[in-house]
Amino acid sequence: MSAGFGSRVRERAGGAGLRLYLALGVVAALVALLAVLLVAPDSTAGQFAAVLFANSTFASALRLSVPIAFAALGGIFAEKSGVINIGLEGLLIIAAFAGIYAADLLGSPWLGLLGGVAASTLFALLFAVVCIEFRADQIIAGLAVWLIALGLAPFAAQVVYGSTNTPRVATFATLPTMGIPVVSEGVTAELLFGYALVDLPFFGALFSATPMVYVMFAAVVASWWTLNRTAFGRHVRASGENPKALDTAGVSVSRVRYAAVLLSGVLCGFGGAALSLSLGQFIGNGPTMVDGKGFIAIVAYLLGNYNAVGALLSTLLFAGLDALQLTLQARDVIQVPNSLVRTIPYVSVIVVLTLFGRTRTPDAAGDHYESGEE
Amino acid sequence: MSDDGTGGPDGPDGGDPGEGSDAGVRGSVVGWLSRLARASAAERLFISGSALVLSVVIGFFIVLAAGRMTTCDTAAFALPPRVISLGPVSLGPFSWPASMGFCYDPINVYDRLFLGAFGNLAADPLNGQFATTLSETTILVFTGVAVAVAFKAGVFNIGGQGQLVVGALSTAVVVFAVAPLLSGVVGTLVLVPFGLAVGAVAGGLYGALPGALKAYADANEVITTIMLNFVATAVALYLTQDVFQDPDSFATQTRALPSYARFPSLVFPDRAGVSLLALALAVAVAVAVAYTLTRTSFGYDVRTSGLQPEAAEYGGVDAARTVVASMALSGALAGVGGAVYVLMVLGNFQTGVPDYGFDGITVSILAGNNPVGAVGAALLFGVLKSGSIVVDVGTNVPPQLVGVLRGLIVLFVAMPEFFRMVGRRVGDVAPERDRGAVATDGGERE
Amino acid sequence: MSEAVRLDGITKRFPGVVANDDVTLSVERGTVHALLGENGAGKTTLMNVLYGLFPPTEGDVYVDGEGLERDDGGGYVGSPERFDSPRDAIDAGVGMIHQHFMLVDPMTVAENITLGNEPRKWGGLAVDRAAAREAVVDLSERYGFDVDPDATVADVSVGVQQRVEILKALYRGADVLILDEPTAVLTPQEVADLFEVLEELTAQGKTVIFITHKLGEALDAADEVTVLRDGRNVGSVRTADTSREELAELMVGREVMLESDYEPATPGDPVLRAEGVTASDERGVVAVDDVSFTVREGEVFGVAGVDGNGQSELVEVLTGLRDHESGRVELRGRDVTDASRRDRARAGMAYVPEDRQERGLVMEFDLTENGILGSQHDEPFARSGRVDWDRADDHAERVVEEFDVRPPDTGAEARSLSGGNQQKFIVGREFARDPACIVASHPTRGVDIGSTEFIHDRIIDLRDEGKAVLLVSSKLDEVRGLSDRLAVMYRGRLVDVVDPDAVTEEQLGLLMAGEEPDDVPSLRGGADDAADPPEESGGTDAGRTDGVAGDGGDRE
Repeated sequence: MSAGFGSRVRERAGGAGLRLYLALGVVAALVALLAVLLVAPDSTAGQFAAVLFANSTFASALRLSVPIAFAALGGIFAEKSGVINIGLEGLLIIAAFAGIYAADLLGSPWLGLLGGVAASTLFALLFAVVCIEFRADQIIAGLAVWLIALGLAPFAAQVVYGSTNTPRVATFATLPTMGIPVVSEGVTAELLFGYALVDLPFFGALFSATPMVYVMFAAVVASWWTLNRTAFGRHVRASGENPKALDTAGVSVSRVRYAAVLLSGVLCGFGGAALSLSLGQFIGNGPTMVDGKGFIAIVAYLLGNYNAVGALLSTLLFAGLDALQLTLQARDVIQVPNSLVRTIPYVSVIVVLTLFGRTRTPDAAGDHYESGEE
Repeated sequence: MSDDGTGGPDGPDGGDPGEGSDAGVRGSVVGWLSRLARASAAERLFISGSALVLSVVIGFFIVLAAGRMTTCDTAAFALPPRVISLGPVSLGPFSWPASMGFCYDPINVYDRLFLGAFGNLAADPLNGQFATTLSETTILVFTGVAVAVAFKAGVFNIGGQGQLVVGALSTAVVVFAVAPLLSGVVGTLVLVPFGLAVGAVAGGLYGALPGALKAYADANEVITTIMLNFVATAVALYLTQDVFQDPDSFATQTRALPSYARFPSLVFPDRAGVSLLALALAVAVAVAVAYTLTRTSFGYDVRTSGLQPEAAEYGGVDAARTVVASMALSGALAGVGGAVYVLMVLGNFQTGVPDYGFDGITVSILAGNNPVGAVGAALLFGVLKSGSIVVDVGTNVPPQLVGVLRGLIVLFVAMPEFFRMVGRRVGDVAPERDRGAVATDGGERE
Repeated sequence: MSEAVRLDGITKRFPGVVANDDVTLSVERGTVHALLGENGAGKTTLMNVLYGLFPPTEGDVYVDGEGLERDDGGGYVGSPERFDSPRDAIDAGVGMIHQHFMLVDPMTVAENITLGNEPRKWGGLAVDRAAAREAVVDLSERYGFDVDPDATVADVSVGVQQRVEILKALYRGADVLILDEPTAVLTPQEVADLFEVLEELTAQGKTVIFITHKLGEALDAADEVTVLRDGRNVGSVRTADTSREELAELMVGREVMLESDYEPATPGDPVLRAEGVTASDERGVVAVDDVSFTVREGEVFGVAGVDGNGQSELVEVLTGLRDHESGRVELRGRDVTDASRRDRARAGMAYVPEDRQERGLVMEFDLTENGILGSQHDEPFARSGRVDWDRADDHAERVVEEFDVRPPDTGAEARSLSGGNQQKFIVGREFARDPACIVASHPTRGVDIGSTEFIHDRIIDLRDEGKAVLLVSSKLDEVRGLSDRLAVMYRGRLVDVVDPDAVTEEQLGLLMAGEEPDDVPSLRGGADDAADPPEESGGTDAGRTDGVAGDGGDRE
């Protein structure tokens, strides 16, 4: 135990330095590209930078961040409490389908969102019972959750709609079109130099996003607060680091773990439903529309060192790369086949994991805990 | 701290070496492995069997539920009216006044799923459906054994799919390039083994990569192998589309291999896409892997580092090298599976490879990671895969049902404790036994 | 004075074992009470009953930190306690400081102390961190503890962690504190500090029960001692009215035997040599600091020290399990500094590891499989990559027979054996390698007395066959009794190499605490190369007479 712990302590120190370099590197690259954009906008690098700083790139980065960020927050809660939830992908898939199904049935994307959250939470409950009550191996059970969802969602789509892809339903309106008094008008009103907030270069995307983007930011703040400032958050951390300490302090470890895993279900529900409802359709063939976002989320929170804000920043990095490849494909800037460009997010995940793989995981993550055992 | 505390009364420190001491994925998998290893063969068989039965039962209800969600003109399956009421209150879900109809008939579905896979054996033992079953089985043996090998070394290889794709594409391309040099029987004798070797090398290298990342950079293999699956699929799509595309075809596929470069079908008709030779090879490989694991020094190293990495290190095993070697072996086996898929089933490489890699995980888990047991589990899954085609054609139940069953089986096998609890309750074994023993020494450890 | 705790006729049975047999124990309020006994005597089980971890099979528990009230007939007022969980015991004012601390390493001292009872604010939306901190500061001041509430637990010393545990119990209102083997991980100085803390606690009306198997500590720190043997209370005595000898006899239940003196060694050529070896632990902190020594044929070279002073790391460097930073290791004149574990084993180095269940045995393997651990690639067990299981089985059979491993079944899984038998099997396997050199790390840890003596005799036999033995142990009487030369390790350095027969216990204690006592019979200064063993000097037997056979020797 001491050996394992020690090595992780050392890596924590090393990882912190690496993270700083990564952050600095990203900022430096952005600044350099911005400079190129201003100096030589017609060069290849300039065109590339133009794509990178396009309002639409940031907009799609935000949109792509939503499922990953929610799943990452869910993963943080579960793993911090000592239950590694590798089934995030499955929860996203289930929520994505249930969101569309409920929206179609009930006629509102908001009710669809509710349906997605309910389905995902139910699945998380199943996972929790299997892991906590029946001491299943967490990794294999998580994998099973993914595999079940991977079969069940297209199965259900096929049953209900006769195809693995569902028909379209109404999507969320964006902030300017939501008709919220003052706010919706405010972001479109011409304020300074004839610019409206939504027209700001790059950052304009922040003011014309769907509500789920703002919910995501709120969820990040709320998660951070919950984990770091509330008694529940402390219990979650203690349950993942040394469950016995928590148990002997008179707090039920399994209750804390149940709560944390269910919370991961709720959060994944938001993420998955937001994913499908922003498109207005569930796509269920192959790896489904979720397409590995749950696994990318795991790497995002590892890179973010289990910190909600860090996880959001890592998510923006991955989603940004994804958005970049989408825009590059669309604009035909660089002559690389699309199927290769599409691997950028996956390859970047592997690279990040290789550099930051030694993140310090909670000490008891993955271990079953039985109260009262000596 | 011991999970099920079977330490004897005088085993003061009979704790679990794998558990609690090693956080994270490896600890978890090792813990599950050691629990599994402790289960007797009969118990393992019982757990796998129960998992299967339970999955089938749940699948039954899923089919029923799905049958209520969809619409149809005539019910395929109906429950007679039943009214249970307590006085004036009728018990909603348990009570229905008129006959309740379902659009799908679960019994028919299972009949098609399990029996359909064999076709009409009495009339034609070489029928096409049975051929498909055997061909699926053959490839699943390879991917199942591949996962089992990695598992034995304590590594969870979810990348079988990617390794299979890489192996398949490499075989299709390299054999196609070499094939014109030879022909006839000689061509078959040389090209088929050569193609298998190409698949093994390509898959092996693609498996060794996450192995090395895990061994030397501590990158969690579950994540890297899943990512590499996505990468393999995308790169294979690019290579097939842009480099090796068959100009005469609209489908995304490479050019067809000459028939002498494929597995001779021997007994079955040529078009059946199955070769008993390949099946025999698969079984032989499973036996050889089992032999390697139990009878060789390398196998000893693999099993030791899978069960107890610290003890392996003590026993002079280079843990990092063993991880890389077993992942390479695992990848090679999946790669051979891909080569067989090309040389036996397709005759070229086509994008959209079926989920053999993921099914391999289920096969291995169902077989308790025993390579020989994987042959049986592969046959079962071959039946399910082949049967799902029959279900698709013969009923209107979506074939994705098999995907759900696959997940359910994995879930249930992952929780042996559940079946033990049920078993204990049924068998009325004193529940005191397990708990007390650990406590005996009251932690008088130094 | 009144009683704070009364255990009345406690019997605790586990399937097949009676851990406590009709134990009655009475503890006065405001005193330190030591619960003394050998490993397996039932001390911890008894305290776990008091702490609500196990319900007693029979018997009653009475607790009142303010003192139990009796009626006129001598019976207790009120009914006995029913503890279903530690929570109940905590509510009744009982706190337990476990041997393995129940602390969350990455959290701060204050967070740990208030865990589960966090003061809250804003309707529970946040932990009131200022209030928590203040409560901790108040408590520490009241009992004279010196802890920083904002320090991270992982960063503070073991001694401080123990104080955090005590504060945790006090924060939850404990009046009765149980300490399980509190000194096992402490340096002599920290032990002295702990005893002062205990004094302060009892002065303020708290009651302390501490579990120990070191009779010296029981005498030093306690007001009263209760001795447990085989699950029974064999006597409670006031420390003022007893002696070492009496307690020792109570503990082991027979006249304490003098440990047999082994014949002096006749060392030959150097076998294992370390030169300026320096290595770090997992945290990157230097754990082994410029260590040099030589072990010769036919001698036992002992390494003593409080656990955690670099002994484990030194052994790992020597055996090839840990990277070193500088220095070199030679085996039979060959430089093996960069050789792998396997190469060193092949070059004649056997190794009895410190942790038999993590390293020494694969718990799921049977004895036949475990018998070739470390030789799985070597003749005669492996030929051209194949394992000859028949030979392996014969081998395991021989080890089992020679070392009296029970049950004598080579098909039994290692985990099914008791600790002592597991250890005997490992020792047997390693000795059977016919090595030139044996590195034995805590070879008798957690092993019963009979097996301990057996293993000791075998070590000496090997020495007399001309093997070089490096023995690391934290049991003082073990290293003193077996070694021909004895090195003391403190904070990664070999502070001295002494004549184990001439050195006094006090001198050893000081050396282990990093001090430099006078007149130490040092063998340093060319001693590394001295061919002659030190002469047996007279009068040293006295130092051994009180050595309780088995494990009583951890006294400092």
